Amino acid sequence: MALAALVAACGPVEQPSGARPATKVFRYAMDQAPTTLDPVQGANIYANFVIVNAYDTLYSYKYLARPYELKPNLAADFPTIAPDGLVYTFRLKKGVRFIDDPAFPAGRGREVVAEDLIYSIKRQFDPRNQPQGAWLWQGRIAGLEEWKAAGSDYDQPVSGLRALDSHTLEIRLLRPYPQLVATLAQGFAAVVPREAVDKYGKGLGVRPVGSGPFKLVSYDTARVVMERNPNFRQEPVDLAYEGYDPATQAFSGVEAIQGRSPPFVDRLEFNFINEPSASWTSFTKGDEIQYTVLPIEQVERVLASKRPVTLRPEYADKYHIYAGLEAGFIFTAFNMDFPDFGYNPDPERERRNKALRCAIIKGYDWQGRNESWYNGLGQVFPGVIVPASPEFDPDLSLASVSRDVAGARQLLRDNGWTPRNLPKLVYGTTAGTTERLNFEQFRAWMGDIGFPREKVVQKTYANFGDISRAWKRNQLPLVAKGWGLDYPDAENTLQLFYGPNGSPGSNDANWENPEFDRLYDEAAVMQPSDERTRLYRRMNQLVIDDCVAITGLSRTRIYLWHKDVIAVPDREILGGFWLKYADVVPAKPAGLTSRAAKGT
Amino acid sequence: MSAVALPEIPPARARGESLWRKAARKFARDRLGMVALGVVLAYFVAAVGVWLGWWAMGWPDLTGTKWEAVSGTHWFGTNIIGQDIFDRAIYSTATAFEVGLIVALVATAIGAILGGFAGFFAGTWIDEVLVWLMGVLDAIPFYLFVAAVAYALTDNPWAMHVAMISTFWVGTGRLIRGEVIKLRGMEYVEAAHSIGVPEVVIIFRHILPNTSHILLVQASVMFVGAIKAEVILSFLGLGIKDGMSWGLMIDESTKEVLAGFYNNFLAASLLMFGLVMAFNAVADALQDALDPRKVG
Repeated sequence: MALAALVAACGPVEQPSGARPATKVFRYAMDQAPTTLDPVQGANIYANFVIVNAYDTLYSYKYLARPYELKPNLAADFPTIAPDGLVYTFRLKKGVRFIDDPAFPAGRGREVVAEDLIYSIKRQFDPRNQPQGAWLWQGRIAGLEEWKAAGSDYDQPVSGLRALDSHTLEIRLLRPYPQLVATLAQGFAAVVPREAVDKYGKGLGVRPVGSGPFKLVSYDTARVVMERNPNFRQEPVDLAYEGYDPATQAFSGVEAIQGRSPPFVDRLEFNFINEPSASWTSFTKGDEIQYTVLPIEQVERVLASKRPVTLRPEYADKYHIYAGLEAGFIFTAFNMDFPDFGYNPDPERERRNKALRCAIIKGYDWQGRNESWYNGLGQVFPGVIVPASPEFDPDLSLASVSRDVAGARQLLRDNGWTPRNLPKLVYGTTAGTTERLNFEQFRAWMGDIGFPREKVVQKTYANFGDISRAWKRNQLPLVAKGWGLDYPDAENTLQLFYGPNGSPGSNDANWENPEFDRLYDEAAVMQPSDERTRLYRRMNQLVIDDCVAITGLSRTRIYLWHKDVIAVPDREILGGFWLKYADVVPAKPAGLTSRAAKGT
Repeated sequence: MSAVALPEIPPARARGESLWRKAARKFARDRLGMVALGVVLAYFVAAVGVWLGWWAMGWPDLTGTKWEAVSGTHWFGTNIIGQDIFDRAIYSTATAFEVGLIVALVATAIGAILGGFAGFFAGTWIDEVLVWLMGVLDAIPFYLFVAAVAYALTDNPWAMHVAMISTFWVGTGRLIRGEVIKLRGMEYVEAAHSIGVPEVVIIFRHILPNTSHILLVQASVMFVGAIKAEVILSFLGLGIKDGMSWGLMIDESTKEVLAGFYNNFLAASLLMFGLVMAFNAVADALQDALDPRKVG
């Protein structure tokens, strides 16, 4: 017995061979929950983060390369493109299988083939799916519109989508589309098996069946849990190919994944925490979540300096940090379908409406918003070409983002607007303290230019999904939202104002400007060039001149993550693709470390 | 001749002193109660000033910069968007009184009427239905009920009031029912019956006035309860829709205290604490003063 006690006291100093390794879990956090996981409706970043981990896309982005670079994902390589730029031929990797699921015969996932991609793109043109990604290929891929008009019969072919063999796909375009490959790196283009749609129907929104690095375990409004797809293809990481820059990225410990095949964690959790303070508490109190965006109220306490962004020593000991300007922006669009602000059968009223919109823009205090909510770290810029776009014009006049209360009042007076005849401004927000204060700030600014308090009203929605539906259904006169670039090209923000993309498409403003649309069509077929940049900037000026949106500000994102997580997080263009590269240093069993340290 | 001392006759006023007068005298002797009443009156004056538009009208305005410290310009500092916290706190006093008064008055009235009917018709189907209704409402958790009402009355500024009134009257109803069951067997009620006074008149003219001491205490308790509930509901996003309240200020402060800025939290919490404590003390003093066993 004494011997037994002695043995127990010494204990094992290392795991016996064959012992099961500790489960590696990465607990990620986002501020909103996705409303669906079906790629056909995955219109926001929250859905996309999960979708690209459950499904495969033909292309994705290199993990570490900045500026962002596309790379083949499910595709074997980059497409061959016909000289006229109208025919793209893609080859798919062989041996890639969907996860095992009852939707397949005998429950065993079958191989992904070219027809699956064709089927997935067709789904975006089937009105029964209430698709939200059709704008990516509308008027671009030959035959899709006709297929839709003929009733969206999946057994009927589309002339522009052809499987040359089981692993070769041909896409024929109506006109050159330089961004086509980038669109195939979107969650909207995730490859969905027809068997799963046939079996689950709308249930696919809560039960993804893909070939991605993870498969879903559970999904609710608080959390998505995924586990490693054991059959995910073996593709060892080549850090040099992924764009690794030791000078700026070595701190993350990412060298440890060199030569290993992702995914590296056994379990991936998305925790949806709406309140930044709650997220911060979960992050700092232990391992409840291992990643967070730095809440604005913690900036002074956590940062040693803002320019450059550095952590105080007590936080630097525990966490990694990354700060950078977002590849996107926040803005508020006027919904031109509302005759109080936008298009009106009476031309005189329409002229006055424009003056009203311009006055509201003049009354908006971007610098005030930047100081209040972003500690002055954001970048205010005019128009809709964001600083992260290659086509951004740093020399553009800042007049449209400079507050001019006297000018706004004068404009209203000159155009016959009085407190009595000003229309009601309905400002939609999700429910929450920040959103309410945002509204109060907006109401105060509008009060400064002459809006009576009772004419600026807040309409709240329970969550992002609800307000998003209201935007898509054309129910709100003011659309205050953020947009993250899907790909590094200003076309991606300019399309937010392209006439044919009106609701329920991405043009929430429902703005239709013939010159803008003509320039957009012209630029859409052009490869990157000075001439295309010139057209983009002209379009940007039209948005500014027509006072169609209060825009804009790019926020500085500050991410923190625990030091036991090996990763270079990104929320921008790379999106959720980086999560398969995240690794976690497993915690050593209690007692093992101390004894090992003592050399026992 | 000798003078005969006549016995001193007490003033008729003292002999016939009403219960209310005795209660008022007793209340006036309660020092804590009087101090608390003074505090409540001070809050009330602040609320009246807001209703009349004399002060705190600038509560939504951006009069400063982010998180300004206490100063001569901003007595309690400013919040994250530069609004004056003092103005918001004072404006919230009016919100508290508004909610407290409306809920207390309407819920007390409903409780009195329905409780009165249930008591007067005790043992009949009317009583059974009303007691069943009270039981049902009591069985629903309050905050779930409020959430359901708030959802059903989306964007309606009265959703919170409706939810509170719908549940708060039940306690009063039960008390009044019990009291009326006691009163309906009294001789004066039987006399009214015998001379043919209609039942409704008996209830409203002869019985309910005799429950007024209960109603007064219940109303004061409900007033405090409504203020506390409003703060909690506003904090949860189910309360005040367009306006300002201490609950919303505390909600705002959840972010600010993490940044080391406590002004919103302290202003709202202390003002609410002061009013609730003072009104509780007033309610206690009222209860003591109106207790028939003590007053009689």
